Amino acid sequence: MNGYALVIATDEFEKITAASIIGSIAAASEIPVDVFVTMNGLRPFEHEVVETRDFATGPLGEAMLTSEETEIPLFTEQFRDAKEMGPMNLYACTMAMEMWGHELDDYVDIFDGELGVSGFLTKASDKQVIFV
Amino acid sequence: MSEQLTADVTIDSRGAGCPGPLMDLIGKVKTADSGTVFELQTSDRGSVTDVPEWVEKAGHELVETVEHDDYWSIYVQKS
Repeated sequence: MNGYALVIATDEFEKITAASIIGSIAAASEIPVDVFVTMNGLRPFEHEVVETRDFATGPLGEAMLTSEETEIPLFTEQFRDAKEMGPMNLYACTMAMEMWGHELDDYVDIFDGELGVSGFLTKASDKQVIFV
Repeated sequence: MSEQLTADVTIDSRGAGCPGPLMDLIGKVKTADSGTVFELQTSDRGSVTDVPEWVEKAGHELVETVEHDDYWSIYVQKS
């Protein structure tokens, strides 16, 4: 096993945040991490959604977004920091992007490119897959 | 911890939630010289157990954790 392949298929804020935290610590510890964002998981990465904080949240997500006592970075910032600190790459699913009618530029600037399933499987072949 | 021990680098991560304090520490440790002692100040209770886990796995030394009224100081020496 040589790192983790995180598949983000959910638009749930808390799940994406958890994935960003786990992936970030791994990458910062020099463990390779590839993140493949697909299906509904792409929506929270759209520029407008991030700017308006229009996330699909539960009670904990609301608390995280509004907490004044504890500073918790948004998952986009978490991924951005992790990419600067260690071996992490993010890829958007080509098929899901097409279904959404979007291009890579429609998403926050943290993606290293887009991938199809074969491309993801190649990158994940030596990694433990975590699916959220 | 010996009262004489002082940190070479103090990282004030008070107010930051998981994984902020640990990310702050990792970032500083990466660019420091071997033997550098860090004091990580955190008000995040989870960091008190999580940081030592990372320190051990990364091969550094956990010197001591000191509890204050509203935060902890975690002393770490880079290997």
